Amino acid sequence: MSFINFENVEREYHVGGHTIKAVDGISFGLEKGTVNVVLGQSGAGKTTVLNLLGGMDSPTKGRIIVDGQEISKMSEHGLTTYRRNKIGFVFQFYNLVPNLTVLENVQLAKEICNDPLDSKEMLTKVGLENRLDNFPSQISGGEQQRVSIARALAKNPQIVLCDEPTGALDSATGRKVLKLICDAASSMGKTVIIVTHNALIADMADSVIHMKDGRINEIRYNDSPKDAEEIIW
Amino acid sequence: MVKKSLFGKSIRDMQRSKAQFISIFIMAALSVMIVTGLDSVWKTIDDLSGVMYAATDISDLWINVSNPSEKELWNISRIDGVKKLEKRFTANAITGLKGRPTLRIYAVSGKNALDRPMLKQGRLVSSSGAILDEAFAKEHGLKINDRVEVKVNDKWLSLRIEGLAQSSEHIYSVKGTTSIVPNSGKYGFAIINEDMLKSAYGRTVYNQVCVKLSPGADITRVEAEVDKAVGDALIGIVARGEDSSTNNINANIRQFKTLATVFPLMFFLVTALITQSTMLRMVENQRSQIGILKALGYTKRSILWHYTSYGVYMGALGAFLGLLIGPNFFGRLLIPWLKLSFTDYRISVNLVNFIFSLVLILACTGGVSLYACLRLLRDSPSVLLRDKPPKEGSHIFLEFLPKLWNRMRFSRKLIARNTLKNKMRMIMSVLGITGCTGLVVAAFTLCGMVNGIARQTYDVTYTYDQKIILDRKADSRFIRNIKLDGTVQQMEETAVEIVCPDGKRTMKLLTILPQDSPLVHLKDVGGNAVRLPENGISMTRKLAQTLKVKKGDIIKLKRYGKGYVKVPVRQIVYLATGQGMYMTDKYFEAIGETFRPSAILVKWEHQPDKTFLEGDYVDEYVDRTSQIKDVKSSTKVVYIAAILLIFLGGILAFVVLYNSSILNFSERIRDLTTLKVLGFYQKEIRSLVLTENILSVVLGSVFGIPVGKVIAELAASGLDDQMDLLSRITFSTVALSGLITFVFALIINGIVAEKMKKIDMLESLKSVE
Repeated sequence: MSFINFENVEREYHVGGHTIKAVDGISFGLEKGTVNVVLGQSGAGKTTVLNLLGGMDSPTKGRIIVDGQEISKMSEHGLTTYRRNKIGFVFQFYNLVPNLTVLENVQLAKEICNDPLDSKEMLTKVGLENRLDNFPSQISGGEQQRVSIARALAKNPQIVLCDEPTGALDSATGRKVLKLICDAASSMGKTVIIVTHNALIADMADSVIHMKDGRINEIRYNDSPKDAEEIIW
Repeated sequence: MVKKSLFGKSIRDMQRSKAQFISIFIMAALSVMIVTGLDSVWKTIDDLSGVMYAATDISDLWINVSNPSEKELWNISRIDGVKKLEKRFTANAITGLKGRPTLRIYAVSGKNALDRPMLKQGRLVSSSGAILDEAFAKEHGLKINDRVEVKVNDKWLSLRIEGLAQSSEHIYSVKGTTSIVPNSGKYGFAIINEDMLKSAYGRTVYNQVCVKLSPGADITRVEAEVDKAVGDALIGIVARGEDSSTNNINANIRQFKTLATVFPLMFFLVTALITQSTMLRMVENQRSQIGILKALGYTKRSILWHYTSYGVYMGALGAFLGLLIGPNFFGRLLIPWLKLSFTDYRISVNLVNFIFSLVLILACTGGVSLYACLRLLRDSPSVLLRDKPPKEGSHIFLEFLPKLWNRMRFSRKLIARNTLKNKMRMIMSVLGITGCTGLVVAAFTLCGMVNGIARQTYDVTYTYDQKIILDRKADSRFIRNIKLDGTVQQMEETAVEIVCPDGKRTMKLLTILPQDSPLVHLKDVGGNAVRLPENGISMTRKLAQTLKVKKGDIIKLKRYGKGYVKVPVRQIVYLATGQGMYMTDKYFEAIGETFRPSAILVKWEHQPDKTFLEGDYVDEYVDRTSQIKDVKSSTKVVYIAAILLIFLGGILAFVVLYNSSILNFSERIRDLTTLKVLGFYQKEIRSLVLTENILSVVLGSVFGIPVGKVIAELAASGLDDQMDLLSRITFSTVALSGLITFVFALIINGIVAEKMKKIDMLESLKSVE
């Protein structure tokens, strides 16, 4: 059994009398400490996969097992605990708390988990050691995304989930951010899952899950993933 | 087409922010309901009594004088400002009906045109007939052509009822000596021909001159000249507004004018405050939508109207609903408690205040959104469409206290920054709750004060069981020799004409008591027992205020059949109801009068002495318990109004709390979602939002207490010149008001917590909006 297992997972939404199958019976396994990309056009169901894995949503059918725990069976409270201890998130729009400084945003995440890492160290790792006392509105988008990476890592999670982490950034900044995620994660032994519509990012992943219309089109394994800096888009 | 799609958007927007719009609607409705409702009470009685005064040609002055001579009448008629005068006879007379009810007899000639009755049925034709009080007749099942016996000058007269009527002197019809609340079964009026008096007195007699003044006449001057013209025969002059009926009506009007000023003002302050901040925030949250509309090419005017219309619709709808409910509800509920003799009436509406309220509400809803929208429209669509510049985070003063700051948890830091950064939001919530708590505290205090009147008067000051009004033939020797089983004390109550230092004349009640009365315990304002002065009079505080008399002032007092005497006001006493003057029997004799007890007060040792009470020497008697009931009944209308205000203030508090909690929540939903995604538990997130709510509730409740005290004092001071209310904020008032607010806060926190549970993590994270 892999570290992360999806077994015939389905997720239906009811919107205005219609039933939409965002995810339609997918199965896959991901190994611990790898960098994985979920690729697809908008509407392919990739974000739903991320939400399910992140414990923000539950499947209508099928099982999701993470590190031996069946999260598809968990209650709301159980899922919160799961998010709290196992998951680090990096979002497209950073989702920093505007009223907290850079350092405090990282410390905030740290406050709620069992085995946090040092916040300042994490911020040094992402190159923001001089920005600790700034508020999110005072720094650039790329810097904000780096704060959010530091926040995700400081929780010392097992899994880092990234939803279009470069979506709101220019390509040069995006590359730096990606490199940061991959390097940090691999050096710390984290499992990384990046959801994106950008096929070029796929080259840096250990495995690529290609989704279309709620199903998995193909799963490709990369024996020699490229370094993030080498990707060009 | 353009309008249609925008209208569709309006409807959908309103559905989305229904909490806010419903709040605005309710607040507008409540405020207008209260102002129009309370206004309708005084406006209705003002209009009705005005119509009645005009229709019956009510007098401006009633001069009580024993047997006015033609010369005196002539002299009065020559006074500048006197337009018309008539003489008549008036006295209370016991009837032969069951329970010995009293009728006020007015004996007039056929020519009298002042103070006419308002006939409902029949008319006075014969010289042995009478026009009877309609309500009195109804109470006793009397009809036209029935007979009623009355005792005048110890002789029984038989009156044939020829007409039924209402009288403008008996709109609020009370006898005064034993009762302060109208009871049409016990007291009414009858108008007879003056020739009837011949069988009682052997001739026609008169004791009152009714005077109509020309408009704008100086009453004080006319009264002074009447005094000169009549001389020693003068008993007293009663101006319209000082007799019990018009005085009471004026007091009612004043009561409700006061209530209708003080309380609606508070409601409007809160409503204006909350409505304008809500509208401002709602329009600002629509920033990018305004950008889209502008980019699509909608004209500035249609966008402005689109956003202004939200507030205008809701505000206007609420206001008109308030107008619909207020007068009907308040008017129909409260006016019957005033116990006026009007049988059927239409509720009047004070449209001036309504229009004023409507304008205020529209300014706070439509006006504010217009302003906010205009400000946004100054930017180009491209600026508006771009994301709203993220709110600046900033350091707050607490951080300069590193010891404290570093020890705070992050969630606490977040609350502190949030609260201090959105000072306006916090201030609005606190002010809103302060206002509502103030209203509730004030209304509770008013209830308490009104309830305290009966207790203060009939538990503290008077401690008798029964007050017995004696027949005139009971002289003081007879009274001294009465042997009754209990404590007995004599007193004389008489209305005397007084002249204040500023020249104002009025007839006020003077009570003459023996020193150290066992059953009357006068107190000063602080509640300490006082002894009556030996060489002056004692005046109740409220009367002193009304007459602008201070301790140490000298007033002139008219003696019976003699001239005036100067008496010093030596003492101010506190009496909750029944304002007047007190002096000792010794001092009364010292100023040349004779002490002739008109009543005795008795505290029975065992059972009341039935034989004595039913005997010839007793005119009537009243139990202290029934007097307490009377006081309570006469203040009932204020009491009910106060209860209504508590109730409506509570609704307002609820709406204000709900509105600010939901707005706080929806403006911070993005932060909260982030926290939820990060793995914060429900209760941790809840404490983030609710701490601010609780803080504003606590602050608002604390500030509300002094505000409530001030409102209650304002309301109490203008309430009535017969009642002297001491405003005391009691612990239970504060506790109860606090409890109400707290329970509301709990309920609302529950609602918000439920909403929080339903935060859609997926939806809110997708875009910045």
